[in-house]
Parts: sequence; structure tokens; C-alpha cells
Amino acid sequence: MLYAFSLFLIALSAAGGFALAHYLAERRRDELARRLRTAEAELRTQQQSQAQVIHTTKLASLGQMVAGVAHEINTPLGFVKSNCEVIGDLLGEYEHAIGALVADVDALLGSDPAHAETARARLAETKAEVARNTAFADAKDLLVDSLEGIHTIANLVANLKGFARVDRDGLDTIDVNDSIKSALTVVAHQLRDRVRVNLRLSQLPKIRCMPSQINQVFLNLLSNAAQAIPGNGTIAIESREHAGQVEISFADNGTGIADDMLPRIFDPFFTTKAVGEGTGLGLSIVHKIVKSHGGSIRVRTAVGQGTTFTVSLPIDAKAAALLPEQVAA
Amino acid sequence: MSTASVPRYRILFVDDEARITRALRALFRDHDVWTTNDPREAAKLAHEHDVDVVVCDQRMPQMLGQDCLREIRHLAPRTMRILLTGYADLKAVLGSVNEGEVFRFVNKPWDNKELRDTVAQAAEIARDAPPITESPLSAAEHETARAQVGVLVIEDDVAVQQRLREILSPYYHVRFANTPERALQILEQHETGVVISETEVGTADMTSLLKALKQYHPHIATVVITERANAQLAMDLINEGQVYRMLLKPVRMGSCRLSIDSAIGRYWQLKQAPSAVRRFATARTARANLAIARLGDSILSRIRTIPSRLFQIARFS
Repeated sequence: MLYAFSLFLIALSAAGGFALAHYLAERRRDELARRLRTAEAELRTQQQSQAQVIHTTKLASLGQMVAGVAHEINTPLGFVKSNCEVIGDLLGEYEHAIGALVADVDALLGSDPAHAETARARLAETKAEVARNTAFADAKDLLVDSLEGIHTIANLVANLKGFARVDRDGLDTIDVNDSIKSALTVVAHQLRDRVRVNLRLSQLPKIRCMPSQINQVFLNLLSNAAQAIPGNGTIAIESREHAGQVEISFADNGTGIADDMLPRIFDPFFTTKAVGEGTGLGLSIVHKIVKSHGGSIRVRTAVGQGTTFTVSLPIDAKAAALLPEQVAA
Repeated sequence: MSTASVPRYRILFVDDEARITRALRALFRDHDVWTTNDPREAAKLAHEHDVDVVVCDQRMPQMLGQDCLREIRHLAPRTMRILLTGYADLKAVLGSVNEGEVFRFVNKPWDNKELRDTVAQAAEIARDAPPITESPLSAAEHETARAQVGVLVIEDDVAVQQRLREILSPYYHVRFANTPERALQILEQHETGVVISETEVGTADMTSLLKALKQYHPHIATVVITERANAQLAMDLINEGQVYRMLLKPVRMGSCRLSIDSAIGRYWQLKQAPSAVRRFATARTARANLAIARLGDSILSRIRTIPSRLFQIARFS
């Protein structure tokens, strides 16, 4: 009986203990599940905000591009537009002069012998006037300028199309030198007043890549280089083929990067620019794109002397490494 | 093109792009035109040929337009200055306002008729209205000016008011208004040489008020202090409001004192040489007139009837 009772007690406490253990385990699991949910939610928010920032950088570089191209186009547009009107006026003036000449010819042809001499004299005078009139020659000069201007605009638009690659996305085989030139057109307005560009491009084999992304790499490196130069300075751009790779370097003689900053420059959201001026994503996107192309990027810098970024891209990249979804940007 | 009614003006065009200067030379072929593609030569040319108007590009590799215009302002003060811009960034526009003291901004691509009208207006003013001297006022003159002429600050931010009080009160009669209504009262009651204003106070757009004020009282110098700066707003404030200086917040003591000193000087000089006032004429574009009309008749008639106090000093001297 006593035995039975104690057995009962043991059973009871065992059950209680089990229930308690069960209860505790359950609570821990709930707690863990709750934390997991919070973490997941946080991750989602962060991913969303990162995607948003990446989108914003894209928009910012689009804005920069539009501003740059608008400026480049407005100059030729300015003189072409003006010239068209002025050419019209000049042709009008010349037409008027020719009209006077024709009238005098008609007068001479229709004149009786008695008045022929006067008519001839008047015609000679008008002819001399037409010879002095520069309107026609001026109009022709303005047309030459205008045609050149239209070619300039056409080139700019072709470059822009090549840069944005709106007409074809995805993989393509391109000459990287063309990408460099496109990127230069886009940042031209940032450089023009104060930064000299030394271009030393070697003949390169074409490489298989995502051209719009490679363009973005060059645009980012170029505009960083321009921003690293406080006053007047130089950016040297070189391209060469080396050991199965295409190497492109951007060397500025700007402020350089301090030792303690250097390890962090490719980190997302790391920036030394003032709030609102940089997202801190430029170089992290550059890094990501270059990596996804199976390439590498090297930095050499000295404070006060400048920075050189060198991008190496394999000539014969495995197409599989270039699936679009691997690059968020 | 009818050329009979317009006199031959002397015009200098400065642009690093030769095709631009050739186009402008052709457009103004009924005038005496000089052109250069090197802005470093511009001031010398303007001075040597005594030009009426200079039209200068903003972005040139050798020199910025605002620096070129500043040189011209010093070497050839009679010459009226117009800036031609292809792409306006705020820094450049503020530089041209504060350093170049430009008469007008014109955007590329320009409208031929508009450009010809603007240049003709500027040239006519250059010939008719004498330039005021660039030399600063003497200490005694400045003392008189400061004693007689007030500074009005239109601003509803108490912190900024306080800051301006600290900077300016030791030197000037500073009065504060936080509504357009109060500003008008002060202008009616006190001789005011300089108006410092935000672009917006409360919900009221102050730019139209400033433009209207300049239309009727062009001798009053306006200084805009703002945090809502954009290039277009600044260009409009020059073209339609002839704003004298534009400063960005936060207000810095040095630049603020300098601007107000020089603004008081400008008012004082104009007060004694009212014929120079035309040099600060505003462009009465349809858009500007519409914005000004929106202020309403009662405000406009009050602005119109603010005493101009231009000749007070003439009686004593």
C-alpha cells in the first residue's frame, strides 16, 4: 500500500515533471519562433530598404546622366536652332537682292535703245551690290556649322543609347574601350571645367559581359575619381590586355583614401561623403558587378597623391557566372 | 529682320565653343560684335572696345562665367552682363548672382527674338544709365547711411531671427516681420534700404512680393536667405527680381555682414544717383506679371505707394 502510494506519488511527480518540461520546451519553441519571425521581418525590411537604396542610386545616376547629356546637347542645339532662323533670314535678304537684279535684267531686256544705257548702268550697279552681299556665303558657313552640330547631337544620342542599352539587355560581346568612351560622355559635364582626362586605350579583344553593368562600373569609378579631385586635376585612364584578362585602370591625382578607410570602401553603405551626397553603395555595386563577371578589382592609394582603381575582367568568362539575377543592381 | 529701329550696339560674346560665337555673331550682324573663345581675354576686350553688353557662357575650361563677369564688372563697369547657361547648377548660379551681379540669365538653347530683345534692353540701359561707382562708401558716409536707413528681415523662424539679430543689430536698425502684412507696414513707416527675406514665410510665397517690390522700388536691395534653394528659383529671382545677393542657410556671420554692408552701400549710392536705378530693371515676363498679380490689388497698391525717399538726401547736399 505504502509502496503503491509512493509509486503513485512518483508517477504523479514524474507526470508533473514531464508536464513542466513539456511546458517549458513549448514556451522556448514559441519564443524561438517569435524571434525567428521578428528576424525574418527585419531581414525583409532591410532587404526592401536596400533594394530601395539601390533603386535610388540607379535613379541618381540616371539623373546625373540626364543632366550631363542635357548640358552636352544644349550647346550644339543652341547654335543649330539659332542658325536655322538666321539662315532663313539671310536667304530672304539674298532673295531680295537677286530679285532686284532680275528686275534690272528684265528692265534692260525690255528697254528701248534710248534707255538701254541707263538700264545697263543700273544693272551693273545692282550686280556689284549682289557681289558685295555676303548673305549667301554667310548662310552656307552657318549651314556647315549646323550640320556639324547635328552630328555632335547624333553622336551624343548614340553614345547614350549605347550606355543605357535600353534596346538590348543581358549578355553581349563588346569592346570595353567603347564602354569607357560612353561613360566619359556621360560624366563630361562633371569634368569639363577642371579635370583633364588622359586616355591611353590599347587595342582589346572583345569580351563577353553584361554591357550595361560594365558601363555602370566605369561611370561610378569615373565620377568617384572626379569627386576625389578637389580643384583642378587629372584622371588617367588606361586599358590593356594582360594574361587572359582585360585590365582597365582609373588613376586620379585627388585626395587619396586614408589607411583606416581603405578596408571598408567596398562595404555597402560605407561613405565619406556628406549626408545626402552619397549612398555608400557605388563601390559596393562596382565590386559586386566585377565579381559576378569573374573579375577582380585592385586599389592603390596614397593620401594627398591620388588613387588608382584597376578592374580586371576575364576575356573568356564562363557565361554561367553572368546570370542576371546574381547582380542586384 | 527689321533693323531700322534698333541702334547699333557694341556687344561682346564669350564662349569656348567657336560655333556658338559664330552663330551669335550672325544673329547680331546688324550690331558691332566682338567675340572671343578665351574668357581670359574678355575683360580686356570689354574695356578696350567699351562694349555695351557682354554675353558670356557659364562653363568654359579656362574660366567660369561668373569669374569672367566679375573681372568685367571691375574693369568695364559700364558693360551690362548677361550669362548664357547650358545647364544650371545651383553653385554656378549663386556665384553669378553674388560675384558677377548679372543682369539676366539666358538658357541654351536660346530663343533668338528673346535674346535680341534682352540684349537690346541691356545695351540701351548701358548707354543711358551711368554705372554707380564700385568704390565702397567712406566711413562717414557709411555712418550716415546706417543711421538713416533700416534693414528689414522677413523671416518666421525664431532661431534665424535671433541669429540675424546677433549679427546685424550692433550695426543697423534691424526690424523683423514674420508676415507679408507686417513687412509692408514696416516698409511704409520706415526708410528701408535692404530687405532680407526667406523665399517662403509660413505658407506665403515671398518671391512674388520681392519681385513686385523691385518692380516699383528698384533701388531697394534685396537679399534672399534660404534653405530651399534650386537653380531655377535663383535664376528667376535675378531675371524677374534682380535680387542683390542670395545666401544659403545656415547664415554665416562673415558673409552675412559683408552682404548687408555692401547692400546698404548699393542703396545709398542709388539714392544719390537715381538715374543708375535702371541698371537693375527686372524682366516683366508674362509669367512674372501673373505671379505678381496673384498678390492681389490691395497688396500691390500698398507696394506701389511705399514712399521711395529717393531725393531726400539731394535736398541737403
